[in-house]
Amino acid sequence: MISDDRSAWPDAPGLGPLGDGRCASAAFRPKTVAELADVVKAEAALGGAIYPQGGRLALDYGLPPGRPGAAVDLTALADVVDYPHADMTVTVQAGMTVAALQALLDEHRQRLLFEVPEPDRATIGGALATAVCGPRRYGLGRPRDSIIGVSFMTAAGVEVDGGGRVVKNVAGYDFPKLLTGSLGTLGVITQATLKVRPKPTASALIWLTAPTVEPLDAHVAALNASSVRPTAVELLNPSAATHIVGLPGLKTRLWTLVVGIEGDPDSVAWQVDEFRRETGADFEVVRDEDEVEPLWAGLLDFQTGPAPLVCSASLRPSRVAAFLAGLDPERWAAKAHAGDGVVWLNALEGWTEDQAVEAVESARAVAVRDGGNLVVAYCPTAWKPRLRVWGEPRGDWAFGRKVKQALDPDGLMNPGRFAGEEALRK
Amino acid sequence: MVRLRPILMECEAMPTTAADASLIAELTELLGEEGVIHRHDERVVFECDGYVIDKAMPDVVAFPTSTEQVAAVVKLCNRRGVPFVPRGAGTSLAAGTLLPEGGVMINLTRMNRVLEIDVRDRYAVVEPGLINVWLTEALAGTGLHYAPDPSSQVACTIGGNVATNAGGPHTLKYGVTTNHVRGVELVTTEGEVVWIGGLVADQPGYDLAGLLVGHEGTFGVVTKIVVGLSRNPEAGRTLLAVFQTIDDSVSAVSDIVAAGIVPAAVEMIDNLMIRAVEEAYHFGFPLDAEAVLIIEIDGIEAALDREARAITEIVQARDGRIDRNIAWRTRKEPEYKSIWKSRKSAFGAIGRVSPTFCTQDGVVPRTALPQILRYMGEASKRYGLRIANVFHAGDGNIHPIILFDEKDADQVKRALEASRDILAECIRLGGSVSGEHGIGAEKIAMMPLLFSPDDLAAMAALHEALNPGGLCSPHKKIPMGGHCVEQVAPGRHAPA
Repeated sequence: MISDDRSAWPDAPGLGPLGDGRCASAAFRPKTVAELADVVKAEAALGGAIYPQGGRLALDYGLPPGRPGAAVDLTALADVVDYPHADMTVTVQAGMTVAALQALLDEHRQRLLFEVPEPDRATIGGALATAVCGPRRYGLGRPRDSIIGVSFMTAAGVEVDGGGRVVKNVAGYDFPKLLTGSLGTLGVITQATLKVRPKPTASALIWLTAPTVEPLDAHVAALNASSVRPTAVELLNPSAATHIVGLPGLKTRLWTLVVGIEGDPDSVAWQVDEFRRETGADFEVVRDEDEVEPLWAGLLDFQTGPAPLVCSASLRPSRVAAFLAGLDPERWAAKAHAGDGVVWLNALEGWTEDQAVEAVESARAVAVRDGGNLVVAYCPTAWKPRLRVWGEPRGDWAFGRKVKQALDPDGLMNPGRFAGEEALRK
Repeated sequence: MVRLRPILMECEAMPTTAADASLIAELTELLGEEGVIHRHDERVVFECDGYVIDKAMPDVVAFPTSTEQVAAVVKLCNRRGVPFVPRGAGTSLAAGTLLPEGGVMINLTRMNRVLEIDVRDRYAVVEPGLINVWLTEALAGTGLHYAPDPSSQVACTIGGNVATNAGGPHTLKYGVTTNHVRGVELVTTEGEVVWIGGLVADQPGYDLAGLLVGHEGTFGVVTKIVVGLSRNPEAGRTLLAVFQTIDDSVSAVSDIVAAGIVPAAVEMIDNLMIRAVEEAYHFGFPLDAEAVLIIEIDGIEAALDREARAITEIVQARDGRIDRNIAWRTRKEPEYKSIWKSRKSAFGAIGRVSPTFCTQDGVVPRTALPQILRYMGEASKRYGLRIANVFHAGDGNIHPIILFDEKDADQVKRALEASRDILAECIRLGGSVSGEHGIGAEKIAMMPLLFSPDDLAAMAALHEALNPGGLCSPHKKIPMGGHCVEQVAPGRHAPA
């Protein structure tokens, strides 16, 4: 039963989950942008809040919902708006699943440039709102590098467009980038235009192991001057290597460097040979199509756990190996996008909150000292206040609050959840 | 030579009052005598940038040498309610550094150092006044380069590139400025110093670096920039494709993209420009060609010949031929340097064809290139003006150059109208009114053709929040209402 009362949280199950155990006071699944506008205006009139939802994969991401409001399911806004494949761009509504979009792109042997875990459920809008990406970011960039146009529903109930449908465009402020990774706090993404690229015709994953991380780090450094041009450079601690590997024949329980190479068959084969020549190392190569895709997927899915505590640290690439070596391998499975300085940490079983706080703060201190940070992507709700899920506060958050204030002055959009909102609660 | 650019916003009142003596005194106290220009004869050169139609002299030009000095100048301007604008080399083609009502120009050309280069972590920290190509020169021997390479890269500054989100020929494959900026040190419009983003990517919070790049000075003055550095290509082929018609050449571009080939660059030069460029640089472009394409592919050597063959077949299918195939391992090879020098210096050669011209910047979907080129051909006939073309075809980013005689008022009028028509056609074809030059003061009146009132209101809300009072870079980027630039319809006469 949809309630107009926004003064208190409804009892579970309410009108469905909002995340972190909190429930929706109302739930809507608008079929048109105009319906979405009506929902937003009505919710604003009630003094409630709008919690946009797609595949509901990131409901527990960030801080708990700040105040009672409506769950707004975007999955009925799932049309392809325009796919001029020869332009290598695609415009879709936000509620389309990533898998459905990829199936569309497959017809023209094209692909999205960023990877999204659980593509059957994840929506384009959710992927953009959380700025999710995977190992291929090293070669293909992040969602911010793919998006060229965005439409979003503001707190005032109007749809605003930014960017456009052409690959080069400097008219107006860059709403596409601003909305990407904003976790629905500036507006509800309704539509996006993305750059796409041809699918490579061949792919190989080099699996190189060592008893310690140092020789692998040397290979990572050498890639900066190598003739090999990988799409992905992943560094795994022994626990992570064991966690991911599902293929027979690959060595586990060792430090592992995975180098992903894509292109046409000739250039992939040449690069694998060249990597062997340059490093003088022995390694395994996964390149059969039925094996290489599952391994790529395994490397991506690592960041979704399941684990009682999942974190991501950002560092300078040169500090990744030392950071990984400083982690207790009995407690953390850790995998880095080593070329980009991003480390995903999955806690192994059996943590208490106190242990988590201590481990997170100590790892975070290392990252922060290096100009980076450490975000908790997933943990029990009860741990969130002490774990400071968005990491060390940053100097530019005050600037970000001005942006938020300009676009959502009453805090209607996904309140309470995003970076910097801890301070606002106090 | 007057280079006229269209969509003129003629302001009836652009006072260039002399700064009051106390402002000059305060600035001099902050920056020293050598850091302040206020004499009329010294200020004249700053009355416009690469967009020479609208002119307005700043009351005073400040030359800070540090972030602290920039912040102090900005605070002073705030305290006194004086408009101010940052400026680099002044190569803006869209009046990005114009101060229509006078004020303080903050000239950043003395903040031009490379502060740090880190090869392992592939970044550099630079000051905003650093000339674009100097960074790549500083990176010689590292195997790295800074990817955005505007044609003006020997003159333009990286701070200016950040302001406009500048592009260049190689952005087709490697992305524009925003794809390479990790963070900036910003002096906000109120004079606070804040780091936006930083050395390390993926910081929690909004993508404020993404918002800042392309702000055209409206969010403050950028005083340091962390740029990501790109690997030099392993190898490449630069093909010169020759066509008998413009239509064939741009159709070939669409075919190449549609075939799933992602070149590093595809540049189109038409016959008018070929002759001008050839006269100036003697590269050896065929003078009888109606159009040529410079098509560059790069990557792993093992894949290049096949890709070059695929491109050759597409070119031949459009009745074109490959006149040169430059195989290279570094971008230092003489023939490679020569062809790109010819391309990037093309605007400098146009003066040989016409004393006056206006260069436009528009974008269409790549598959719509044949339509927009046909439209421009018709516009050329309709308005009785020659239009030359040299542009980033692979991105759909056109730069029609309209040739006219500035002494003929009717020609000026026709040039401006032709420009406006072409930009309107870009919008109709699903494109945009600027791919890389910016909106500046020049194109503000085009914004309502591209964006709805709701879109513009959201942008204006951001502008107000981050530039309260609007003293910083006034009348730029976003129509804010109530000022002279917006009140005038586009396509006005150029002043005689």
